Amino acid sequence: MAVTSHPSRPAAAPPATAPRDPRPVRRRPPTSYQGAAWAFMAPGTVLVVLALYLPVVYTVYLSFTDYTGLGSPNLVGFANYGEMFRDTAFLTAITNTLIWVVGSLVVPVGVGLLVAYLSFGLRLASWLRIPFLVPYALSGVAVGVVFSFVLQNDGALSQALAFLHLPGSETRWLQEAPLNTIVMILAASWQGIGVNALLFTVGLQSIPREPLEAARVDGASGWRLFRHMVWPLLRPSTTIVVGLSIVNSLKTFDIVQAMTQGGPNRVSETLGVSMYRDTFVNSEYGLGSAVALFLTVITLGASMLYLRRQLAVGEPKGARA
Amino acid sequence: MRYRRALAAAALLAAASLTATACSSPGEAPSATGSGASTKPTGTLGFVNDKSWDFKAFSAVSQADVGIGLNPTTYADQNAFVAFVKQSFRTNKAPGLFTWHTGGQLEELVGQNLVAETTPLWDAAIAQGEVNPTVRDLYTINGKQYCTPISVDDWVMYYDKKMFAQYDIKPPTTWAEMMQAAATLKSHGIAPFWSSGGNPWAFVWFQILLAGTDLQLYKDLSTGKASYTDPRVVAVMNTWLDLEQKGYFSDPGSKTQPEEQMKSGKLAMIPFGTWYASTLETAGLKNGTDWGVFTIPAVNPAQGKTPVAIETAPACVAAKSDQKDLGLAYSAWWMTSQAQTAWSKQQGNLPFNPKAQASTETFQQVGTQLADTNKYETYLRYYEATPTPVLTTALDQFTGFMTNPGDPTKYLQGIQDEAQSYWAKH
Repeated sequence: MAVTSHPSRPAAAPPATAPRDPRPVRRRPPTSYQGAAWAFMAPGTVLVVLALYLPVVYTVYLSFTDYTGLGSPNLVGFANYGEMFRDTAFLTAITNTLIWVVGSLVVPVGVGLLVAYLSFGLRLASWLRIPFLVPYALSGVAVGVVFSFVLQNDGALSQALAFLHLPGSETRWLQEAPLNTIVMILAASWQGIGVNALLFTVGLQSIPREPLEAARVDGASGWRLFRHMVWPLLRPSTTIVVGLSIVNSLKTFDIVQAMTQGGPNRVSETLGVSMYRDTFVNSEYGLGSAVALFLTVITLGASMLYLRRQLAVGEPKGARA
Repeated sequence: MRYRRALAAAALLAAASLTATACSSPGEAPSATGSGASTKPTGTLGFVNDKSWDFKAFSAVSQADVGIGLNPTTYADQNAFVAFVKQSFRTNKAPGLFTWHTGGQLEELVGQNLVAETTPLWDAAIAQGEVNPTVRDLYTINGKQYCTPISVDDWVMYYDKKMFAQYDIKPPTTWAEMMQAAATLKSHGIAPFWSSGGNPWAFVWFQILLAGTDLQLYKDLSTGKASYTDPRVVAVMNTWLDLEQKGYFSDPGSKTQPEEQMKSGKLAMIPFGTWYASTLETAGLKNGTDWGVFTIPAVNPAQGKTPVAIETAPACVAAKSDQKDLGLAYSAWWMTSQAQTAWSKQQGNLPFNPKAQASTETFQQVGTQLADTNKYETYLRYYEATPTPVLTTALDQFTGFMTNPGDPTKYLQGIQDEAQSYWAKH
């Protein structure tokens, strides 16, 4: 953009002896740029409203209707919400989703921290971390498809166990609950450990050396050094990694859809899969929207609770009114 | 200056709006649309479908024959396909021709006046002997016809010819003979029958066993007149359980395709529609040498006629499509003997048009056999005969039953709960 005259550039000061300009100086009020600013923001705002806010409002509306994808929706009050909570498979989906939340914290976050901490400071540490990071380049669906062939009955894992004469070759990894949810969490962990390790590594690099050296001088090492020095100083990174993990695991969909479609008989369904099934398989858009809203409220609630608590801990006393 | 900036911003907004408008405006006009009922329309017809069949190759046949080509758009994901078609009815993008399902799913569209009526096409085709009148029933809603068939497939049993020859097994003609064959195959470590959990194939053995035992009960169940917890249904499930416990089925959780299981010598028989022939050929299994077919015998011969499941792939025309005339012209042509002969040649399946020629000797024999209405009675496949919410629940429950074979009561109760809720509202 060619700049011929900058509107905020101050005018050259008039010489002291110059005659006073009789015309009144029009001083621009401080908010004079608001109109232009809004004009520039308008396309983006319109896009956000159209693409993000309106669909949410429409989903809320649909959740109170009996819409099937055809014809006009009829209002049915809270019937969809009642049906949702009466469905035992929905309650199973809530349980499975909670298992995903806990499992995703224990394995990808826990092991990610372990990988980052153990490799930190080692020579060639970045090379050690690369194998953990490579699976992150894959999509969740691709990971699901690959692992479904590994874990299916008489699949690669069963054949390997049988070949090595190890127990478990007859185990039906994807057909027994909650085993199928657990192995799917492990499959997702295979993909997620690397990026968590990377985030923790960045966090470790940002810790100042002085307090750690002081602690070492005082005799701290090993677990005590980690527990009382590294872990508290790593809090900003932990907050981000755990927060992301909670949100991502609450909306788990792709890997379950690719591996078991929530089956057999809905025993491995998560809330994300329930939402998809109700909406697109059964064409019960109202019920699917109710599940979507429930999931959104849970995800937002969990995120806000967690982040508010974590961020409040990090703030100095008295910083908040 | 600020006015200039505001002007620039307004111009930017206008450009963005125009771009958005351009995105939502109708696309290119079709290369040709129907030019009225009085003249034969020609041109290129948009065809939205969920089949992995080679419609481009078939388009060359129709182009040469009636001057209408197909511009196919294929959806690999069934759910995405259904969502797209349903949404398209609300726009001016309603397809000139699209694939769908008969039964409850077609009734749903007809109920909203979304599909063009095809009664005159059926009247003409039946008058000319191009289609069996019994097929029309599948397309009839409230006395009128909607959509036309691309194919009508009978369900038969595909078997491994070499394996049967190796163990001196002849294609069975009775249920008892089929069970004997299964026992022989099982004793040699081969899974006699293919079985699969999940959507869509978990219904297959329920369908074979229930219709083969009591066809009227099957029909009553499909229309909500009978209960899934009826003792007769429980007895059928116990027969299924017995076959499970004898080890007559392949692993229902396997993700290996049935043709691959057959090819590797682990599986002997696969119950499927006649459309499956092309899949076997694609897998490298040759008709006549590697595989053959026989009609699935009735479990209960006292029924008189042997029930044969049929499924049909309809092609429908959206009532408000710009290409309605072109779509209807193509639908009429697809039922003709020329079209069905060419289609059978391409697909290797059994044509529904009695005047058309089946492409293989195997299906010519099957076609002749099943044409005897004194011996065989057709019924609509469970997947189409059952309302969608009940079907989805049933597929889940059948999968649960297959995964953990045992007392069928809780699974049947699960389906009945959904069926009761559905039929109370319909």
